[in-house]
Amino acid sequence: MNQISSQPPIQTDDQNIARSVIRTTTSDQAAALRESFLVIEDGAILLDARLRVMLCNIPATIRLGHYGAPPSRGYPLTKLIAHSSALDADARTTVLDRCSAMSASDLAGIEARLVFGDIVIRIRRLALGRLLLWVPASRAAGESSLHDPLTGLGNRRVFQAALAAIFTKPNASAALLMIDLDRFKQVNDTLGHPVGDALLRLVGQRLRACLSQEDVVVRLGGDEFAVLLQHLDGVDALGKRLIDLLSRPYLVEGHLANIGASIGIAVAPSDAHDPSTLMRHADLALYDAKAAGRHCIRFFKSELNARAQARLALETDLRRATALNQFALYYQPLVDIASGRVTEFEALLRWQHPSRGIVSPAEFIPLAEELGLIVPIGEWVLRHACRTAATWPADVRVAVNVSPMQFSDSKRLICAVADALTTSGLPGSRLEIEITESVLMHNNAETLETLHALRALGVSIAMDDFGTGYSSLSQLRSFPFDKVKIDRSFVSQIDGKGGSGREVVRAIAALGSNLGMTVTVEGIETDAQADFVETSGGHQMQGYLISHPVPSDMVSALFSPQSPIASAPNPEPVAPAGSRRLRGHDHEK
Amino acid sequence: MKNNFYRAVYCSRCELIGSPETITAELQSILATSRRNNRPAGLTGALLFANNCFAQTLEGEREAVERCFERIQIDPRHSDVTVLEFGPAVERDFTEWSMAFVGDPSATSPDPLAVALFKDIFADNHADSGAKVLLLLRQLVHQEDLWAIA
Repeated sequence: MNQISSQPPIQTDDQNIARSVIRTTTSDQAAALRESFLVIEDGAILLDARLRVMLCNIPATIRLGHYGAPPSRGYPLTKLIAHSSALDADARTTVLDRCSAMSASDLAGIEARLVFGDIVIRIRRLALGRLLLWVPASRAAGESSLHDPLTGLGNRRVFQAALAAIFTKPNASAALLMIDLDRFKQVNDTLGHPVGDALLRLVGQRLRACLSQEDVVVRLGGDEFAVLLQHLDGVDALGKRLIDLLSRPYLVEGHLANIGASIGIAVAPSDAHDPSTLMRHADLALYDAKAAGRHCIRFFKSELNARAQARLALETDLRRATALNQFALYYQPLVDIASGRVTEFEALLRWQHPSRGIVSPAEFIPLAEELGLIVPIGEWVLRHACRTAATWPADVRVAVNVSPMQFSDSKRLICAVADALTTSGLPGSRLEIEITESVLMHNNAETLETLHALRALGVSIAMDDFGTGYSSLSQLRSFPFDKVKIDRSFVSQIDGKGGSGREVVRAIAALGSNLGMTVTVEGIETDAQADFVETSGGHQMQGYLISHPVPSDMVSALFSPQSPIASAPNPEPVAPAGSRRLRGHDHEK
Repeated sequence: MKNNFYRAVYCSRCELIGSPETITAELQSILATSRRNNRPAGLTGALLFANNCFAQTLEGEREAVERCFERIQIDPRHSDVTVLEFGPAVERDFTEWSMAFVGDPSATSPDPLAVALFKDIFADNHADSGAKVLLLLRQLVHQEDLWAIA
């Protein structure tokens, strides 16, 4: 980047025009603005309230046929227009008249579009009487260059120009509110895109309704909006008002829609001295608002930066984890209640990081899902679980958890399962896929098709964590599950008097049995729980009382004595039929 | 055309503060605006003000109902807007009124019927509140216009 001259160029020849960058700004803070202006192929001129040039890019001079020295900071618009050979006398007067009217007061409108032959000049009033003149490279481009076509609000270009204009003044005050709609995707998915679009238009209107003409409000894309204020007064109150207003119900295209909003706020100069930092910090605050449960405002604070860095580091490590062989599978046995035999193991993912130690799946699985890494990781789990299970006795099965995200690419999932079976030689009947209820929430028809395709490979399908989240009994009827696993939270409520968990477990067990499903009760940690479960109507149990998840080399110690071993010699009998606690012989007291 | 006839019923909390006279004046201005806007838009309806809450029904062409509702939504003079009903309707309930009004801002004791109604609605028990509000508005408006301001 060239050093920016603090003096207007005294004398410049035509050659200089070609290699001149925008020689207009005096401070380093304007670097970002210069950059954003440089990448624009359309002409752009930023004027202060006295109609003097703050910035002007080369395409603007070319487009207007400006001759002479490139307009530098402080260059009057009157001169710039007077030297624009592409405009005739009438056009020049029109541009000057409109600019002075719009700069003087917002009563003249905050936007104008002037057409002179094939030249279009769009004028937009920014805060403090500043104007942005846009001279698109072609007429067609002019239509969309400043506007979001859907909502009629400003677009990203207007936003960047307005943002950059703020930082041309040292220590200028500004507040940036990043707004994200809550539950918009659900509305869009259930009511359709036309309704979603109409809803976004109403959101735009409501935003505009709470702001003054001076405030810049833009749609950045999707359901993301931004508001830029040139002051810091009442920012908190405004944010609250925006959330209140955006969360009120909408009547749209014959439907009632309810959405919410989350807002992240960063302010200048205390949080940032340049546009990109302000944006990044407002984004981090928005992320924080969403993490706090949405429907709230969060201001940027420096801890967010630290947290973002920690997250980024975790992300970097996670991306490397597969390649560095840091994942391992642990196996937790499921015991058949009637026979007391171990009939199945659930494969559970562990991430062993050299410096972090064992990272909890609760910590890295959500991140892996967010980054899309869950798909390759899930495939790795399938391959390894099948390969390991193939070495077990022929009547012992393996259960593998599959993330809802893997269902979004159903072909890939089906291939991954088929490949894992073929490569390992494990019969499909010895693999069980566990899904959570959330899998059934999205795209139901396609999901059911995928489940049937997996079933066709001989694989059985289990509903995991049943009874949490959006559970409804109808979910059990939507697909002929082979198994339902009752969520551990009910089991933990079995102990003590009046534990409502007992009735729930009995009811689900009865329902599952009637539907022909195996019923597994998870999270068994006490003898009292096991005693109850044995009489509850459930078929299988799983939990710390029986065994913690163990590494694959310790699995064989947990096999029931009668199990014929496919490829390994019979281990010592460690758990007589009927005993709950399974121990490897090396742990036996 | 027939299918494009819609009705919306909603409740909200009044955010107006001041003496009964001030509130009456504000309500008159709200009603005047709404009647002025509704007539050309082909909208009819009724507004109940009681116990510091509003209940309103709007009926007309879908687009007109939606536009009017949106205008009402951004009004800072109320909050906690709860839509009780929105959908196609068979016929107009308030043929005579661009916006009928029932309520007495200067009443010293709130209307017991309205208290019970709003209590239910804001307690989230509004499975059939839309029908209840509509019935109440219908009865009150048709019964007499004694309370009517304006």
